[in-house]
Amino acid sequence: MINMIKADLYRMLKSKGMWFFWGALILTYLVTLVYKQAGGINLGGPSLDSSAYKMDIQMVAHNFTYYYLFIIPAFCIITADFSAKTIKNTITSAISRKQYFITKFSFTELFHVAVFLLGNLLFYLVNRLVNGTDYASSFSTFFQPVLLQLPLIIGFTALFILLAFVLNKASLFNSITIIAPLLYATISLVLYGIEGTKDFAEKILLKYELNYMLQLLATDCTAKYRNTCLLVGAGLTILSFLLGYLWFTRHELD
Amino acid sequence: MREAVLQTTKLCKRYKNFAALDHVDLTVYRGDIYGLIGRNGAGKTTIMKIATGLASPSEGTYALFGKTGAEADKQKTRIGCLIENPAFFGNLTAYENLRYYCYQKGITDLKQIDEALDLVQLTDVKNKKFRKFSLGMKQRLGIAFAMLDNPDLVILDEPINGLDPIGINELRSTFLRLNQERGITLIISSHILTELYAVANRFLFIDKGRVLAEITKEELDLACSRCLVIKTDNTRQTATVLEDQLHITDYKVIDSGEIRVYEETVKPDELNKVLIQNGVNISGIFESGVSLEDYFKQLIEEEAQ
Repeated sequence: MINMIKADLYRMLKSKGMWFFWGALILTYLVTLVYKQAGGINLGGPSLDSSAYKMDIQMVAHNFTYYYLFIIPAFCIITADFSAKTIKNTITSAISRKQYFITKFSFTELFHVAVFLLGNLLFYLVNRLVNGTDYASSFSTFFQPVLLQLPLIIGFTALFILLAFVLNKASLFNSITIIAPLLYATISLVLYGIEGTKDFAEKILLKYELNYMLQLLATDCTAKYRNTCLLVGAGLTILSFLLGYLWFTRHELD
Repeated sequence: MREAVLQTTKLCKRYKNFAALDHVDLTVYRGDIYGLIGRNGAGKTTIMKIATGLASPSEGTYALFGKTGAEADKQKTRIGCLIENPAFFGNLTAYENLRYYCYQKGITDLKQIDEALDLVQLTDVKNKKFRKFSLGMKQRLGIAFAMLDNPDLVILDEPINGLDPIGINELRSTFLRLNQERGITLIISSHILTELYAVANRFLFIDKGRVLAEITKEELDLACSRCLVIKTDNTRQTATVLEDQLHITDYKVIDSGEIRVYEETVKPDELNKVLIQNGVNISGIFESGVSLEDYFKQLIEEEAQ
């Protein structure tokens, strides 16, 4: 497992895509830091007014980077191997399929969590240093919402890992993961517009839309909602792992 | 007794209604250069895919180094292989690609990379990106990858595809050297019979997923060499006449109705005369001698009948 992670890290450090990813991440944070505006991106769910919070908390709630943070790790670590067909070199001589899946799953999760925490930590430190306490909360106030978001981040990363293993091809993976939030929002809004499904759309689809959950967890939510989000994250992680494992270990490789 | 490196028993692979492999029995012994010969779609790659864990059999079993099931999986670290087209990361150089697999396999002696590249004459272009490689260079890198970490068994699927004649010749020498000097067992597939004949010592002829013949080079030579074929209803009596009257010892009883004489000095009319004089009932005597291609065609025709 360690050998495979070392190999993947070596390859990723040699790839321009990884440096572009870090460049984009830093640039996004820099824009926020310089203009003192959290900005943000909405992947399709309802938006919350978080103006009552300091800028760093607003940034956590509407983080620009989440959008590609879900796609890039799975893309770099998993689909790159499928697209180049290098997976057959690994499966035939280095490790078994079971080990392959478990290693890739664990590494993608670890990588994403590390980038998520490191990105937020860097942002907090630089923001506090450059913009001062008017724009920065205390360390514990800042990191509490970050940690609350973590189970969802892990859960949705697991879902993206599952998609990477099932879809195989990089182009297909990118197309579907990019279009998925828009599709989700469209379906939610259509169902919201229909009398019979309005409640379902409002209380389930919109209330538990990823973006909305992340915003609420970073700002203000009930303990019940927080626990439900925790369950969503844990459920997605377990289910995606099991489905991905079963699919990959039983599916014939081209 | 020689150790079986790969052994399959009644191996079947079905894709919906298509049988890619149909009860394949084969044995590759340590030290063999084992040639898999068959047309495109015959099942050569499927055998290799199953042996390397890329595909699982629908029926039957296979043993790697005498181990089956999950234990066979653990033996994969002793295998180096190139299945179908060589696949590497286009944005990495030849050296970096092999370095990646060194990390993956836990190889710390990086001299192995240079040795492997040297083996396939890629040292001069080791810093060139894989995506800029020609087909032949890609193929060579695939072979270098298969040779990393001194494997006990190397499985190569159509390794000479895309190589020029000089490259093919060099590769042939490399295979023979690896086999003789390092004792590496090789399984090589090809549809170019003459190339396989030049390196392999045992052969498996396969068509439409069925084994047509599994023979040694000596047996293949015998089957293809020039001979006189005697068709008779009494092979025992014919053999006695050949030995006692004509003092012929280099002959083989093929089946109950056929004897083949390999001595080149024997003339068909003289043979015919002596056999008739001794009361042997002969339905035909004719010269035979087939090329590898003809032998393969003959096997396919026999299977079709």
